[in-house]
Amino acid sequence: MRQIVVRQIGEGHPFRLGMMSRSSTMSMAFLPRSERQPKLSTLSGHYCKLSTMGRRQHENPFTLASCSVGDMAEGPQTAWSGANLMVSTEALAAAALRQAPALQDVTVHLVRPGEPVRITNVLDAVIPDVKAAHPQSTFPGVLGGLTPAGHGETTRLDGVAVLPVCDWTAAGLTSPGEFPSAFVDMAGPGQAMTAWGDRAAVVVCCTPRPGAAVGDADRSVRMASLQVARLLAESASGRVPDAVESFELAGQADEALPSVAVILQVASEGTLTDTFLYGGALIGMVPTLVDHREILDGALTSGAYDWPAVRNLTAFYQDNALIRALTAAHGSTLRFAGVILALGYLDTAAEKQRSAMLAARLAAQAGADGVICTTFSSGNSHTDTMLTVRACAERGLGTVAIVAETDSGLTDHVPEADSIISTGNTDELVRAWSPGKVIGGSGSAMAGEPVPLYCYLGACVQTGDMALTAVPG
Amino acid sequence: MIVVHYLNQFFAGLGGEEAAGLEPARMAGAVGPGRGLAAAGLPVDTTLSCGDNFFAEHEARALSQLLQWLDEIGPDVLVCGPAFGSGRYGYACGSLAREAGRRGIPVVCAMTPDNPGVLAASGSAYIVPTGPNVAAMRKALPAVASLARRLGEGEPVGTAAEDGYLPRGARTNVRVARLGAERAVAAMLARLAGQPGTEIEPGRDRVPPPQPIADPAASTIALVTESGCVPAGNPDRLPTRHADVWLRYPVGGVTSLDAGSYESVHAGFDTRAANADPNRLVPLDAVRALEREGRLGGVHEYFYTTSGVDTPVAAAARFGQEIAAVLVSTGVQAVILTGT
Repeated sequence: MRQIVVRQIGEGHPFRLGMMSRSSTMSMAFLPRSERQPKLSTLSGHYCKLSTMGRRQHENPFTLASCSVGDMAEGPQTAWSGANLMVSTEALAAAALRQAPALQDVTVHLVRPGEPVRITNVLDAVIPDVKAAHPQSTFPGVLGGLTPAGHGETTRLDGVAVLPVCDWTAAGLTSPGEFPSAFVDMAGPGQAMTAWGDRAAVVVCCTPRPGAAVGDADRSVRMASLQVARLLAESASGRVPDAVESFELAGQADEALPSVAVILQVASEGTLTDTFLYGGALIGMVPTLVDHREILDGALTSGAYDWPAVRNLTAFYQDNALIRALTAAHGSTLRFAGVILALGYLDTAAEKQRSAMLAARLAAQAGADGVICTTFSSGNSHTDTMLTVRACAERGLGTVAIVAETDSGLTDHVPEADSIISTGNTDELVRAWSPGKVIGGSGSAMAGEPVPLYCYLGACVQTGDMALTAVPG
Repeated sequence: MIVVHYLNQFFAGLGGEEAAGLEPARMAGAVGPGRGLAAAGLPVDTTLSCGDNFFAEHEARALSQLLQWLDEIGPDVLVCGPAFGSGRYGYACGSLAREAGRRGIPVVCAMTPDNPGVLAASGSAYIVPTGPNVAAMRKALPAVASLARRLGEGEPVGTAAEDGYLPRGARTNVRVARLGAERAVAAMLARLAGQPGTEIEPGRDRVPPPQPIADPAASTIALVTESGCVPAGNPDRLPTRHADVWLRYPVGGVTSLDAGSYESVHAGFDTRAANADPNRLVPLDAVRALEREGRLGGVHEYFYTTSGVDTPVAAAARFGQEIAAVLVSTGVQAVILTGT
């Protein structure tokens, strides 16, 4: 039995109930109000734990049962040994390849924090998840069958990331320089720049078949990485989780509390720069209201490989910090009005204005008083964010925008954007480092050179999932 | 570590106001306040000076001589001043700092925050704020020496708040206790409570649209683009993104940018349609037609290009200033600026 941490929605204090089974945890979810401390500051931290009880339990509410991986090592099969996970890289690679007809080869590498390794050409990061009762519906619409996400129990591995890797240029599918290098460092000064340097990495190296169409190759790469993620999580089937969380918006939130929505900007410009909802590319999408639990449960996946530091990785949807913060605050300091997906990096002024207008309208229809506007990628998309802020302000909605900066600041700004969260300066150089080994590419991978932060995977992500910011210097 | 120190004629011991017309001078070792820098741990190798009036009246000549010396010496760090509240001295310090900074030399200045030298430095220098007169010397020199020593030895320097220099317009990354999402929710609650706060104060560098040109038929116009349009094969290797240069190509006698002769190397959009007709990136065919009809006076002999994708704002601002300076000096009255 493990210690279980549980928190009631809308309350601030995590209760260490200790040595309890999951069922007893659920029965203890409603503690006397006097024992709770609804204090916002205690909500800080990436892993605030939420309760398992929700008023929609009869509807099979979404629960996230997380198992922490202590250490990870190569083994004859993928199985747990105490708190540690043994992984058969060969079996994982073979299983991934079966899902990936457009790939010639898949190899899987394990890399642990502190090893002097730079992983290059990293496309995405995926948290190992599996639907506990229906493994075949994991990542619905992409890997799994098309069923609504955000219901039932999902088993998740904490402390492990699946990192798909593909050198599109070596495969002849992109031109040199089309995408910047995308690094994850497991040691050295770059280790802390990504969210992945401090946890075990399962690197899925994909080589497309010669002559494969780029769209087929990309689909196979995504299938391979999601398959590895699912298989890893399946190993925890039947294990007692370390934490069980719920994201139901429980109870009657006080109508006097302000209502806050998120406009989650995503990009979908075509193959290799797509975001997928239930497996469908979002290109051409009008702003769409989604259930926050769907996003946490694998309905939204990334296939966008430009802008390494400022692209939304699949893991940042699965473990979205904004959704966590807003569900945690729901009922105590605010009411969470929902998540609206909207495209960024739109091509024309008319498209940008239309999308901004429609996203703001949806937020108003959802009853929001305030909207947190996130950004995907850089430059062009900042105009989409700023126009969205303006459109919200024109409807009388308060806004907070989340953007990354370049040297000397913002690429676009409207006066209405008077409350901005900075996720850091993407142009700042990270000290030179010479890794002992490079995984994922044949080039030098900038070994021994200072590396601009924009090359580090998710370093300045504008969903609010990192703790970097920029100050006057 | 090679340290060069710039002083005006007074602090270099060459004379007061009567000597303000002195030309640039070069001296070995530390002079005047330079001895204070040495005492604070920063030995000065060479001192440069110039009369305040000479610099003000012959800026280009003064800078040319001072920069030539800097090129010869190759310092690891340049210190200018302290200039305190002196406007002419501060301006000379800031102007030299700007030019040295563009050559990659780290620069530390010291002056009052409202000294015109702060603007002249254009973000190129770490400027230690001082009081208005020489009484502030004792306090300024250790701070200047500390910053300069670290810069000269390639050691990291803290943020403006940590190290006490005036913000340069640069943005330095710091890791904070709370995730961006948590800060965003807190900012939202503050804003809905009527107290909006922000982590970014946007720049004030907003350019109002100019007046229409009075007589297009008597005007020369230039074509400038960030579309990454270059001659086929990209002979000068314009970067596809994160460009650090702008380029120009002659169009004298050219009537149209034909497919196959020009292309876009821009990494931020699908270039296939543009490459089928590069005139849609740089509308030379259209302005030539207007020129033939007499509706435009003329077309400038070059088009100017860069690839505007992932370009730091600082670099983009520099490109704009440099291209505009060239165009103004060649008598161009208007620009068609095409973006992608």
